Amino acid sequence: MKEKYTYTQAVSNIKVEENEIISFDKINTVEHSFRVHSDGFVGVQYCEGSMDEDEGYKKANEKLALKRPYKFELETGVRHRDKTEKTVSDKELMDMTRTALEHIRSKYPDFTLKGGFSQNVSCMLMENEKGLDYSNRDCTVNASFSYKHKDSKDIYDGYFSIGQRDFDMDKLYSMADNFLGCFNELKELPDEIIIQNQYYEYLNMLKGALDAEELSLGTSILSGKIGEKVFSDNFTLIHDVSDKECWHTCFFDGDGVTLENDTLTYIKNGVILRGYADKKIADKYGVEHTGSAYRDFADIPSNGNVNLRIERSNKTIKELLDGRLSVVPVQYSGGGFNEKGEYTMPVQLAYLCDGEKFLGKLPPFTLVSNMFDMFGKDFIGVGSDDPVFYDKQILVRMKLGKIGE
Amino acid sequence: MYKFPEGLFTDVRIEKQVTNNYSIRNGEVENNSDICTEGAIIRVYDGKMWYTSVTNELDKIQDEIDNLAGLAEKNDDIYNDPAIKNFGSEKAEIIRFDGENDLRKITSAQYEELISGYIKACCDDSIEEIKQWGASYGHGHKIKEYYSSKGAAIKQDKQSCQLYFGFAITVDGITTNAGKFYRCLDFDGLKGREQEITAERDRYLDYARNAVDVEAGDYTCVLAPVVTAMFTHESFGHKSESDFMLNDQTLRDEWVMGKAVGSELVSICDRGDMLNNGYTPYDDEGNKACETWLIKNGVLTGRLHDSKSAAVLDEKVTGNARAQGYSCQPMVRMTNTYFEKGETDPEDIIKGVKDGIYVYGVNYGTGSSTFTMQPNLCYRIRDGKLCEPVRANVITGSVFKTLFDIDAVGNDYILFDTYTCGKNGQSVPVSAGGPTIRVKKLTVN
Repeated sequence: MKEKYTYTQAVSNIKVEENEIISFDKINTVEHSFRVHSDGFVGVQYCEGSMDEDEGYKKANEKLALKRPYKFELETGVRHRDKTEKTVSDKELMDMTRTALEHIRSKYPDFTLKGGFSQNVSCMLMENEKGLDYSNRDCTVNASFSYKHKDSKDIYDGYFSIGQRDFDMDKLYSMADNFLGCFNELKELPDEIIIQNQYYEYLNMLKGALDAEELSLGTSILSGKIGEKVFSDNFTLIHDVSDKECWHTCFFDGDGVTLENDTLTYIKNGVILRGYADKKIADKYGVEHTGSAYRDFADIPSNGNVNLRIERSNKTIKELLDGRLSVVPVQYSGGGFNEKGEYTMPVQLAYLCDGEKFLGKLPPFTLVSNMFDMFGKDFIGVGSDDPVFYDKQILVRMKLGKIGE
Repeated sequence: MYKFPEGLFTDVRIEKQVTNNYSIRNGEVENNSDICTEGAIIRVYDGKMWYTSVTNELDKIQDEIDNLAGLAEKNDDIYNDPAIKNFGSEKAEIIRFDGENDLRKITSAQYEELISGYIKACCDDSIEEIKQWGASYGHGHKIKEYYSSKGAAIKQDKQSCQLYFGFAITVDGITTNAGKFYRCLDFDGLKGREQEITAERDRYLDYARNAVDVEAGDYTCVLAPVVTAMFTHESFGHKSESDFMLNDQTLRDEWVMGKAVGSELVSICDRGDMLNNGYTPYDDEGNKACETWLIKNGVLTGRLHDSKSAAVLDEKVTGNARAQGYSCQPMVRMTNTYFEKGETDPEDIIKGVKDGIYVYGVNYGTGSSTFTMQPNLCYRIRDGKLCEPVRANVITGSVFKTLFDIDAVGNDYILFDTYTCGKNGQSVPVSAGGPTIRVKKLTVN
């Protein structure tokens, strides 16, 4: 039985250094994974660039000798999803870059910008001889800039980025106003530290802990806690490939599995419902499979393909803050979670914020929390709106760690 | 070979790579694959902008050159452009890895036997806290060709193989991951590591059983060689990459040659011609590797360049323009970067600490004005002796201050070939090395 993955990507990239456009790059790539299933094994041939199908399947057939196990029935189904809202021409992308640079440069002449604009058009296809025929297309325009003040002794001071299917330049300008406009306005840290931030990094430890294999073997920090209430009543965690709130995510996984409404809940009101498992892990440990297989273009699928988001509150960020001010970390790195789930993060640049507008720059500090408090007693919520980052963001209380001299 | 358009600078980089991966987790083969890839990046420069194209279809490179030339503006003075003047024009062929040591000749039976031997030697079912283990082998071999309208024609190869053996150790519901990672340029370098792996397993087992949480504060810290290597790379190495300071007067004033930037014990060098993980005999602009002393006895003496940065700062190119792969443009990157060893015995360095922290291992680090390191194993030092293992989450310090705070440098230099360095979305293999060093004060959380 033959099966194939194909991934095509067309990227146009306009690169900016020291406030000037320095290059225009075009990247067009195609990757194929030819797969031949036979007697509980699969032979896989990976190819970048074009390859004749007969040749691809012939080589995949030869790879059956590696005895890579795959005993599962191939999936069926037909669906084609195209989330493209708008594509821009290379000239339009260049004009957008020039316009944005001119606007930000003239308004904030004390800053040097590095980064640029890019358009990413992606398409993932999966098909097999049982009739499965899936495709997932998307297109986004992204603008990303790191910035450095002329008097700063750092390599760069901060970073802002925005990606949209239908790019709105006013939102980029609003970000520039927030991130650059009050850079020289110095503020003090508030008594109560409420972090307002995109939350992808904060979910890292939790994602690892929800691996069904780790849960089964007792090596997850959440082992033995399925069905227990571990986090806040307000905390619900969902795997979501509906693409309402993210881009370039596929509705089918590496096993060809799809989910009802393209979502699956892992934690509901603080109660852990399940771990994630692809077909192999589900079979091995006797748990449900959750459509969580990574596509490995050169081998059998592997577990871990989840796209987690926290369910939003019905209140805006400002309503959740209820008159308090937030702290928005911008330049932070070097820390993270340890094996106990404790989180420590040195923050080099952060702003004081009223939920929507930055009020001034804060001195460097170190954040301290842990995974259980972060999504438990200290979890305030994810706003119903998207101020500051034009993306979903969390409000969570944290503490300050030891600050060096 | 290619017909380069007049009035434009053009270069072409072609890369052909073979990789193999094999891994076992808890007794089950998780991965066994081989991949062959090839592709090219074509770049045209008219003095104002670069126009680039990436393709997997190597028979269409000339078409891509012609297409890009159609977008650029002809510039008859292009070869007097200061950056273009710095691009290499040599012809060379440096093929080191096509003989007996060619990793492409390693069979699946050979690496399966290697892994099987390590499993027998390093897995111990009697240790009940070890809940998972994993072992992996991989190798890669790459041939790069570089051609330019200045006449450069360079063919070079690079290869490496790696071995990882790791354990998940669970004590009281807390899982500590431990392991040893090796990377070498030849297969035999991966053999005979059994005792090192089991010693590391037992060290982290002791840590998982006995570690106590560190009390946050400022401590005198002794950094093991692997930590010094990370510190060197992150805290200073990235600041030696001169593309960050081209037209920034504040940074040019801050990093002026001849300025004292550290204690006299500090000397740091970068060399791309060493046969280590950062081996780059010619960079991706056709320039030859050289030895660049970044700091000598605490004084700033050099920095790393590509053609543009050398032109803007009016310094010599250093062969440090590197790209992650054929789909990426080169930028200034480190190669093999090391902190030169000193004369003090490491035991004497520890003996000189009344109350401090010995940092044995580190996950990763970053460096801006504040450098950071996330340690994975530390020991408390009391009265000059290593005591109990401690759990510390992050160590920070000011780059500008810490280099001056180094008051002892060991004679136990080691160069580590296991690093991959990330910058602006590109990862390249590098080596980093150094001895045991002592820093008078760092902040530990």
